[in-house]
Amino acid sequence: MIDSLKDYQDVSFEQGRSLWQDAWYRLNKNKLAMLGLYLIIFFVVISILTPWIGPYAYETQNLALGASAPSAQHWLGTDIHGRDLMTRLMYGGRISLMVGFAATAVSLVIGVLWGTIAGYVGGLTDTIMMRIVDILYALPFMIFIILLMVVFGRSLLLLFLAIGLIEWLTMARIVRTQVLSVRKQEFVSAAIVTGLSHWQIIRRHVIPNILGPVIVYITLTIPSVMLLEAFLSFLGLGIQPPQSSWGVLISGGVETMEEYPWLLIFPGLALSLTLFALNFLGDGLRDALDPRATRD
Amino acid sequence: MMRFFVGRLLQSIPVIFIVITATFFLVRAAPGGPFDAEKTLSPEVIERLNERYNLDAPMYEQYFDYLGHLVQGDFGPSFRYTNRTVTEIIYAGLPITFELAIYAIMIALVIGILAGMLAAIKPNSAQDYIPMSLAMTGICMPSFLLGPLLVLVFGIWLQWLPVSGWGYSPGDKILPAITLGSTYAAYIARLTRGGMLEILSQDYIRTAKAKGLSTASIIFRHALRGGLSPVVAFLGPAIAGLLAGSFVVETIFQIPGLGRFYVQAAFNRDYTMILGTTILLSCLIVLLNMLSDLLAVWLNPRLALSNEKN
Repeated sequence: MIDSLKDYQDVSFEQGRSLWQDAWYRLNKNKLAMLGLYLIIFFVVISILTPWIGPYAYETQNLALGASAPSAQHWLGTDIHGRDLMTRLMYGGRISLMVGFAATAVSLVIGVLWGTIAGYVGGLTDTIMMRIVDILYALPFMIFIILLMVVFGRSLLLLFLAIGLIEWLTMARIVRTQVLSVRKQEFVSAAIVTGLSHWQIIRRHVIPNILGPVIVYITLTIPSVMLLEAFLSFLGLGIQPPQSSWGVLISGGVETMEEYPWLLIFPGLALSLTLFALNFLGDGLRDALDPRATRD
Repeated sequence: MMRFFVGRLLQSIPVIFIVITATFFLVRAAPGGPFDAEKTLSPEVIERLNERYNLDAPMYEQYFDYLGHLVQGDFGPSFRYTNRTVTEIIYAGLPITFELAIYAIMIALVIGILAGMLAAIKPNSAQDYIPMSLAMTGICMPSFLLGPLLVLVFGIWLQWLPVSGWGYSPGDKILPAITLGSTYAAYIARLTRGGMLEILSQDYIRTAKAKGLSTASIIFRHALRGGLSPVVAFLGPAIAGLLAGSFVVETIFQIPGLGRFYVQAAFNRDYTMILGTTILLSCLIVLLNMLSDLLAVWLNPRLALSNEKN
């Protein structure tokens, strides 16, 4: 990887830089985005390792201790049942991040397939598929997720699906626009003339060209999904105890914030920091991968 | 442009119809009847209740029955609050939610547009970075976190403002409105900045500068109309978000608005109440979305063309 200006110059003289090296170089220069990237990696590693490195077991209660302020034994304090807050934050983070990544993955699969087919096939298929997206766009999705959670019960799997099923719409639009523009390029016509199959064209020419915007949009979808999960969990319509997420912890912290403010502040900090990191990384990636895109 | 208006109007009708139909059958498909919670009810009583609420009729009959009542503005009786109709509850809650949403959107517009303009006038300076960092904080600090923190600081520690209620004591509307509006202020600031930066790089702005117009006159007379069109297009989704955000804010501050009733209905499985509020809020959102689209096109007619091309 390219780390300094010197390396960058060497590369540019000797072999020319690929689009991805270029993007990585630009991203590297954006300190906030890199900080975001490191923070995300840090949070993800912690979440994966939690069962092994968690300071206490998830269910360990210490009723005699009760809620205690941050101390040497419990760095972030304990809740009213004497459970270690840091342990609970780590386990909650696992769920929050998992919802973020899994629901984004659902939206990614549907959105990319939908957008690629619409954009590549074109014509009437395209019109019909995008009309469907337009109509779904107009639906008030937040209310529909609440409705789904009420009707079918609050399960984690349903949460992934419900959020994923709603977040794919923008992905489909982005991918379609991108595919349409690639489809018109001369190298695609050349590929058709040389007798490549549709699948080969999609794999070799279309996918590499839509990857940039898709990566950017993924980074921006994950925080919005995590926010949605926390929102639902806060209302008591998302993750259910004994499972926990940052939204659940914030909701619990609000009830006792007068006496034990740390129970609200630390979960809030964890969620906000993660959202910050992902948003900065997303903005940085957009600048790096698509310099022409305007920032909103 | 007329074609765009009519097309947009026609497009809303199937959406509203889909919303009503989907909501109705989803709620009816829910496992468990609305009277399951009361274990003590005898089968005869349940039968009579079903009869009273028309639940034993065939599904399609119930559906058309409901549609018929809906057209007359009748959302049916509430399953939980047996002596109140859903319509009554909506009438009581909706004005409060509207009031809250209007305060919030005003706060969001004033703060957001001012901050965005400041940032766009001197990009990449402190005047840009400070408001934009605050905006990022606003986006990453969701209402269900900001609200309790504001209550903790201004209500409990400093004791400046009441911690809950709506219209009971002076100043109790301030914290809820700020809580609900802050995220949108942040988005509007970013959109304003982006929109203004694009407009300020146009030739006609350079002409205005060359004519010797003052910065204020360039901004307000020439740049604002075009620069704000992304903000106007965002207003529809923003209002949809505000209505959903009112669920949280009304719960935190114990405001007797529609959002709080909706969340309670979701907990109580008050099916007619969920059905009624979902349909009402959805239709509102669809209509407001349409209005903001129309307004955006009116401000910037080129949008209609680019929409038709897609």
